[in-house]
Amino acid sequence: MATTDRTRPPQYLGARVMRVEDPRFLRGGGQYIDDIALPGMLHAAFCRSPHPHARIKSIDVGATRQLAGVRGVFTGESLKELVGPLVTGLDHEHIRVLEQRVLPLDRVRHVGEAVAVVVATSRYIAEDACDLIEVEWEPLPYVMDAEEAMKPDAPLIDDSIPDNNTLHLDYEGGNVEEGLAGSDRVYTRKFYFGRQSASPLETRGLIADYDAASEMLTIWMSNQMPHLTRTMISTPLGLPEGRIRIIAPDVGGGFGLKAHVFVEDLIVPVLSRQLLRPIKWIEDRHENLAASGHAREIHYECDIGVNEDGTFTTIYGRLLGNNGAYNNYPYCAFIDVGMGGNLLPGMYDWQHARYVSDAPLTNKCQTSAYRATGMVVGNSMREIMIDEIARDMDIDPVEMRLQNTIPPDPYVNALGHKYDGGSYAEALKKAAEALDYEGFRQRQRELLEDGRYLGIGFSTCVEPAGWATEHARAHHWGEGFGTFGGYFDSASVTVEPDGSVTVTTGLHSHGQSHETTFAQVAADALGVRLEDVRVRQGDTASAVYGVGTYASRSSVLGAGTIMRAGADVRAKLVRIAAHELEADPADIELYDGRAHVRGSPDKTIDVTQLAQLAYFGHTNRPADLEEPALTSTRSYDPPESYNNSTFGAIVEVDIETGIIDLQRFAAVEDCGTMLNPNVVEGQVAGGAAQGIGMALYEEVCYDEEGQLQTGSLVEFLYPSMMEVPDIEAEHIETPSPVTAAGVKGLGEGGLLTTPAAVVNAVADALAPLGVALDRLPLNPGYVLSRIRAAREQ
Amino acid sequence: MKPVRFKYFAPETVAEAVARLEEYGDEAKVLAGGQSLVPLMNLRLARPGVLVDICRIPRLDEIRRNGSLSIGATARQRAVRQSDEVAAAAPIITEVMRWVGHPATQSQGTFGGMAAHADPAAEIPAVLLALDAELVATGRDGERAIPAGEFFSTWFTTTLAPTEILTEVRIPASASQSRSAFLELARRHGDFAMVGAAAVVELDEAGTAESSRLTLCGVGDTPVRAHGSEEFLVGRQLDSATMQEAARMAAADLSPPSDVHASSEYRQEVAAVLVRRALEQIAADT
Amino acid sequence: MATDAEMAVRAAEDFRIVRLVVNGEARSGLAEPRTLLVDFIRHELGLTGTHVGCEHGVCGACTVRLNGHLIRSCITFAVQVEGQEIETVEGLAPGADLHPIQEAYQEAHALQCGFCTPGLLLATQSLLEENPAPSDAEIREYLAGNICRCTGYTNIVRAVQIAAAKL
Ligand code: FES
Ligand code: FES
Repeated sequence: MATTDRTRPPQYLGARVMRVEDPRFLRGGGQYIDDIALPGMLHAAFCRSPHPHARIKSIDVGATRQLAGVRGVFTGESLKELVGPLVTGLDHEHIRVLEQRVLPLDRVRHVGEAVAVVVATSRYIAEDACDLIEVEWEPLPYVMDAEEAMKPDAPLIDDSIPDNNTLHLDYEGGNVEEGLAGSDRVYTRKFYFGRQSASPLETRGLIADYDAASEMLTIWMSNQMPHLTRTMISTPLGLPEGRIRIIAPDVGGGFGLKAHVFVEDLIVPVLSRQLLRPIKWIEDRHENLAASGHAREIHYECDIGVNEDGTFTTIYGRLLGNNGAYNNYPYCAFIDVGMGGNLLPGMYDWQHARYVSDAPLTNKCQTSAYRATGMVVGNSMREIMIDEIARDMDIDPVEMRLQNTIPPDPYVNALGHKYDGGSYAEALKKAAEALDYEGFRQRQRELLEDGRYLGIGFSTCVEPAGWATEHARAHHWGEGFGTFGGYFDSASVTVEPDGSVTVTTGLHSHGQSHETTFAQVAADALGVRLEDVRVRQGDTASAVYGVGTYASRSSVLGAGTIMRAGADVRAKLVRIAAHELEADPADIELYDGRAHVRGSPDKTIDVTQLAQLAYFGHTNRPADLEEPALTSTRSYDPPESYNNSTFGAIVEVDIETGIIDLQRFAAVEDCGTMLNPNVVEGQVAGGAAQGIGMALYEEVCYDEEGQLQTGSLVEFLYPSMMEVPDIEAEHIETPSPVTAAGVKGLGEGGLLTTPAAVVNAVADALAPLGVALDRLPLNPGYVLSRIRAAREQ
Repeated sequence: MKPVRFKYFAPETVAEAVARLEEYGDEAKVLAGGQSLVPLMNLRLARPGVLVDICRIPRLDEIRRNGSLSIGATARQRAVRQSDEVAAAAPIITEVMRWVGHPATQSQGTFGGMAAHADPAAEIPAVLLALDAELVATGRDGERAIPAGEFFSTWFTTTLAPTEILTEVRIPASASQSRSAFLELARRHGDFAMVGAAAVVELDEAGTAESSRLTLCGVGDTPVRAHGSEEFLVGRQLDSATMQEAARMAAADLSPPSDVHASSEYRQEVAAVLVRRALEQIAADT
Repeated sequence: MATDAEMAVRAAEDFRIVRLVVNGEARSGLAEPRTLLVDFIRHELGLTGTHVGCEHGVCGACTVRLNGHLIRSCITFAVQVEGQEIETVEGLAPGADLHPIQEAYQEAHALQCGFCTPGLLLATQSLLEENPAPSDAEIREYLAGNICRCTGYTNIVRAVQIAAAKL
């Protein structure tokens, strides 16, 4: 084949490569958890509590035995010897340790909590049987509100925690007391951020298959971190990790929810071990909303000190979370109220910063990780307040931000986080330009004269991404996830005998496009064609150990691990090529699946031949090549890196109905080097839609009786295509000086930055009426009530 | 989230369907598309022991116009939305279909099913009430026509006897002469209304209202007619003070329900806004 | 894949044979009256491209076509559609090449986790049959019944426009 006329192709990294995984999904050939069926498989369903807090006096499962197709019924009592509790606590001096039995022995603590499980030949029959279980309840006093739960006479949710409070954090940089005292003005605001739910479109689910002959437990699970899950379930199950294999197949969205261990994840394997049959449980949407994990509900109070010239000095947040009835495993409430404090500084030059956080137990479902976690709350709090302060001081909110913005260079913020530089001011200016800020202000004034209320709002964010050990330390995560310290990840890169490339990673894609972006990285690292690379993930039996995909870490960790391992293998290919082509290794270039000798266009050999030489070449290999295997496994634990973004929104508010029309949305982000701009834009737009949901539509609500009011998608509102406008994305690339290839990661920034932009736009629209907003989401009834209140004043 | 067991019948005549209802009494429910019923069954909030599927009965889905408009009970919502007859005879029905669910529910959901389900937040019942429609019930002893004003009795309940089937909806010919508007507020597009308002007004050449019917959904246990406002409008021009006052009157006596999407006060307040805007839309069209 | 004993249980219950034409092919399987069409398609016929996101008729993940029109198969019983024609995502591109709508989704990066995608592809197909050159606003209104939790929709709208241009 004539190759001499081929020019060197551009690198894959940074190119808009179409996704490798798409044809599978587009043909309906994705394999999600519920698409898997095993011979003899049984189905589990859970009987769940109708009470927010109640003693279990007795459970009678007798009637279920009459039902044809029922194969087993289990309660807390019958499982207690078979599986250990989840012991939740972050190995952190300020977080209390809680024990949770997989099914409760004595009492339930929230509506929807599982009390019994039925195994039957079909899900239909299993649910029929659940209906037949008779539980005698003794209702107990309950507490739903966090402020109430902190009072001395509040009902106790867990006897081991005498004041209901699961954690108390207090971190300070500088001296906030002095900072506030020395500021010309101090603003104090309270804001309530409603309860959320990640609710990926595919719910959770798993199939467990215990094989008695080999004593192997195989679990297929809709999951973001198969290896870490294996580690975490091994102890309670009493099985060594080597006897557990976890396969995370295609996963229909995770958003943090699937980066946990929940009780069902322990129960289903135990049932399989007892009944020696494969058992499937697929969470239904009601279970997902009632009993998986909620997120974020935080009462936030914040002081900001500012001088008359508009200079920010001090920021001080008090966060009161609502933990729900249990600690999520493994992150506890830290995921919300800790991260909600950590994100307070943002891109501004504060001299003093502090946050104090508490998170009491209540009789709601536990809170858990949801994309952007509590970070979005802390970030929104600051951005919302900045707009209010600017309005009060009669300073333009964009100007006020720019005045206080840190320089683009690496910077240590008031809480000690080491920013690696970014386009902070530039992104804000670009977002303002994208929405024609000046022009809009003009139009806004004109339309106001016709009685129309339009508004514009901006929000900025600096997001810790590429989460690894140093991030965890800087953000006060203690020593790690309980005993699971360390946040590095690993990848292996192997050139197979035919020259094709296999990458394995413990990271997992549930929409993030790893099969494409990681292949791009590997193809460049080795100089091969993209189509010759296969990325294998999600199976603990075939991928190297890794911590998994969460906290915007995969692009940084994936790129770093694969580049390192790829470089090792490339070095071997170069040596073999140099030997074979009788050239100096320094003159060997690898690209397009071939090795070339610089300056000698005729001297070339393709990777397949090089691989053949490595594997089977015997004496034809370089004599000093001691380990010819074309494989390498490397790990990477990057330092702190941070992306930045500014989003802007334009809204019109119908002041007679409180309905908000989100008309335009511009998103400027800088995640350093982009692996694939398509994927970056997709992450930004998807996050923005979830942020719009958080700002305007989505809320998990309980009523006064402790009953869940949002147990279906009729009440819990995902925004649809009609509610989300075109997300106008623009990029800036400021490569990180500290990470592999300058990649910064960006999974959560889209969500993080959005809600405050929307709130600020609404507040701007309603400013002529003197409306003050103090809660999310901004549903029409709330907005109208605020308009009415302002008018009555 | 799976329904309980039930017996299923798909009769081919109305008489046979009625016989099934008589045979099974309270246990039985009519299945007419199921876009409201099946979700409730999946959630096990509805547990009928017997379903009588009337969608296989021939010609029960016909849409005919001769003078009045007749919409067969099992006419799919999609067919109603696309029907030229409907657009000519009662344009407000064509208009309201835009607000009813989504294409995928409209192709399975039926027009009659939406009426018989009697969800007070649903759009179609309010429009039928505004059009003074008749709902034809068929039982063992034949047909009887129930005026829309007498059809909806309370939450999810109609005056159909347990052994009767809604077979047809009749819209009077006068509908084509009237001007009409439908507006609603929902949390999201395609959701049930927090509040919806239908207005059907006949204006004479001078623009004076000769008759008017104003109805609301989402504000009570049935679709609600604003009698006071209707009477107030007759004999008046649709000027801004009149519309304002009619709207105020329409909302004044409501005591709407509260739910997770909107409070009672909110619904009451925006009911007036919607009525006024619906009238304004009619006035602007003239 | 039930065992013999389980088959016996099913036979004793109210199972019956339901016959359908699926993607042009005559298919049959066992269903109780209460068997949801989506369960029948997925677990009885083994066509798992149709997904379940809510099981109560809100999200659109289970969208298939019945006699050429979109329906939600999670709120339809299999027995209701006995003898009728169903199209699922698996029927969109029977050969080696992707359907132009599928190509457009790939080009526009209109899917991430892919869970909503089968339903959206069929909804797009119906939209473009009814309206070959829709505006962005028409696309959004027509497809609003299909929830996507990942993409933020911007690229889906783009994909539909690309598909409209191709078809
Ligand atoms: S699964 Fe059918 S609409 Fe959600
Ligand atoms: S791509 Fe994940 S839900 Fe749409």
